[in-house]
Amino acid sequence: MITQVENPVLEVHDLTVSYGRNPVLWNIDFTLPKGSLAGIIGPNGAGKSSLIKAIMGLLEINNGFIKIFDQGLNEVRKKISYVPQRESVDWDFPASALDIVQMGTYHKLGLFKRPGKAEKALALDCLKKVGMEKYRDRQISELSGGQQQRVFIARALAQQAEIYFMDEPFAGVDISTENMIVDLLKAMTAEGKTVIVVHHDIHSAPKYFDWIIMLNMYLVASGPTEKVLTEELLEKTFGGKLSLLSDAAQLIKQKGFNPLKS
Amino acid sequence: MEDFVYFFSFQDPNVAMVVAGITLLSISAAMVGTFTFLDKKALLGDAISHAVLPGVCLAFMFAGSKNPYWIVLGAFITGAVSTYAIEWISRSTKLKEDTVIAAVLSVFFGIGILLFTQLQQTGDAALSGLDHFLFGNAISIVYEDLMVYGILALLVIVCLLVFYKEFKLIIFNPGYAQSVGLPVKRLKLLFNTLLVMAVVTGIQAIGVVLMAALLITPPAAARFWSDRLKIILLLAVIFAVLSGIAGAYISFAVPHMPTGPWVVMAISFIAFASFFFAGKKGILSKWYNQRNYQQKIHRDHLLKSLYQVRERNAAPLGKADILELFPGKEKETKRFISKLKKEGQIEEKSNHLLLTPTGLVEAKRVVRLHRLWELYLAQYLNLAPDHVHDMAEKMEHLLTPELEAKLDASLDYPTQDPHHSKIPRDHDL
Repeated sequence: MITQVENPVLEVHDLTVSYGRNPVLWNIDFTLPKGSLAGIIGPNGAGKSSLIKAIMGLLEINNGFIKIFDQGLNEVRKKISYVPQRESVDWDFPASALDIVQMGTYHKLGLFKRPGKAEKALALDCLKKVGMEKYRDRQISELSGGQQQRVFIARALAQQAEIYFMDEPFAGVDISTENMIVDLLKAMTAEGKTVIVVHHDIHSAPKYFDWIIMLNMYLVASGPTEKVLTEELLEKTFGGKLSLLSDAAQLIKQKGFNPLKS
Repeated sequence: MEDFVYFFSFQDPNVAMVVAGITLLSISAAMVGTFTFLDKKALLGDAISHAVLPGVCLAFMFAGSKNPYWIVLGAFITGAVSTYAIEWISRSTKLKEDTVIAAVLSVFFGIGILLFTQLQQTGDAALSGLDHFLFGNAISIVYEDLMVYGILALLVIVCLLVFYKEFKLIIFNPGYAQSVGLPVKRLKLLFNTLLVMAVVTGIQAIGVVLMAALLITPPAAARFWSDRLKIILLLAVIFAVLSGIAGAYISFAVPHMPTGPWVVMAISFIAFASFFFAGKKGILSKWYNQRNYQQKIHRDHLLKSLYQVRERNAAPLGKADILELFPGKEKETKRFISKLKKEGQIEEKSNHLLLTPTGLVEAKRVVRLHRLWELYLAQYLNLAPDHVHDMAEKMEHLLTPELEAKLDASLDYPTQDPHHSKIPRDHDL
């Protein structure tokens, strides 16, 4: 059940991705319409985060290509924003909440320039949007998990992008933060921005997303929520891995090199 | 003392030159070290500072004398090769990085010592001063050395200032840095080059192996004092410069004394002092706060026992009775009794200790917190009344007025605890 669209903002074409020597995604092929709030769902090890990382150019692509706004990644970087998993960084790093949000303005500054007044004002505005203005000078390790996630979202907002990729923004956050983020994302897509979110909770998925991408090492489904959230597709997604794909992955791992590498 | 004045008046141009050199190299080492430390790559600095030795020896063999250009080139090459080897081996094998660093470090240092011994046995007079590269000798720096090492250090400092925000982002969140289009790989290569250069600048003044201490110890000490990267950088630089100059002075004052070990002593002293005395992160303030808390517990217990006597309408307690309540703590108890008297919380009337009105309010507060917590555990955590006392005994000293208000509200302002004792309020008699 894969719904393809005309004039997509994101086109993933026949994508195969390995993590080291371990193939994690096989022949992923889908398109996404502008303004959608899309959820990527699937079991542990389904390749949800890997898909986002591959789109962001952080993982090596073995096969296929990705187009955003019908262009390559490097042509459209300024229109893209990425929110990594909260656990992927060391929160003991000596920085304040405001410092982190200002990082969202770095790419527009270019080399040699420091963030100035305009960048600071933008960062403060973004902190306000996630309800964190009170914590601007707080050392980031002293923030709760939900507050750290809000800071990450604010940094993404400061990039003023058109398309947002978020890796598990709801993992380990309190319910009020989760609701706040969902409202914010809905407001963003209403303005015509596109948001793609890795999500682990199947129960809240239909409430949050208008588009669902179901992964289980391969693409099980991609389409409007009401069309793809069926018993049959959920069973395919969460009912265990395709054993042949796992066997093939095992075979490749034992090779000592990656035969898929082009 | 005469030496001290002579040295620090900088009237001797040689001394001024040595101080300028050691200041520059300390700044560059501490700055590179701060980023390395935050990137958790401290061991890499150690490996490089071992791996420059074979390069120094090869340069000696090649040039036949102590020529700073050749030495810098040799040290840089073997340092860079070791860095690249560590990265390549960790990437292409399953070995963990710490294993690879330890192995590469020993191989390079082993070869270095071999060459070093070989050179010493030739007994060539032109080779005197080679041992300065092992433990450092700041005083042996001449004008030509200063030019080479100083310019290298300046280059490192300028590069770090120019790419400050990029390095900060790459260390905090490399995946994100790449996603916004920073050339992460090239910047990492540049950073590793700066790291090797910072080590190379220190080989003559500090010595090959000990240079690692000047990289990592200053930021480790500075981290205790601040949570701001800029301040950590500044403090690390100050600590490094102070210890660098201290080491140079000792080499100057005591003939044939190497600089490196004294720099390490000085910077380690600063690090230990930071560990003990730094603001709220220092161990001393942790001990102090813990001791204060223990004292507060004792004081709360004293007030509570006086309140309980009053509540039971029992005969008031004398000083001796109270001392008996806290066996083994007579001295402390006596001190607290007189302290509470001074504070106007208790008074002594006809050999009995009684709570004053202010003391009563405070005692009630402790008892109230205890009983509220008991009730909270019973109601919300479904614990039996005989399971709640011990935790409440601990929480009564800890709860803040804000939490008390919250507790009261969620229990709907109760009047009795699970043991049917009254929860005392300020307005009761």
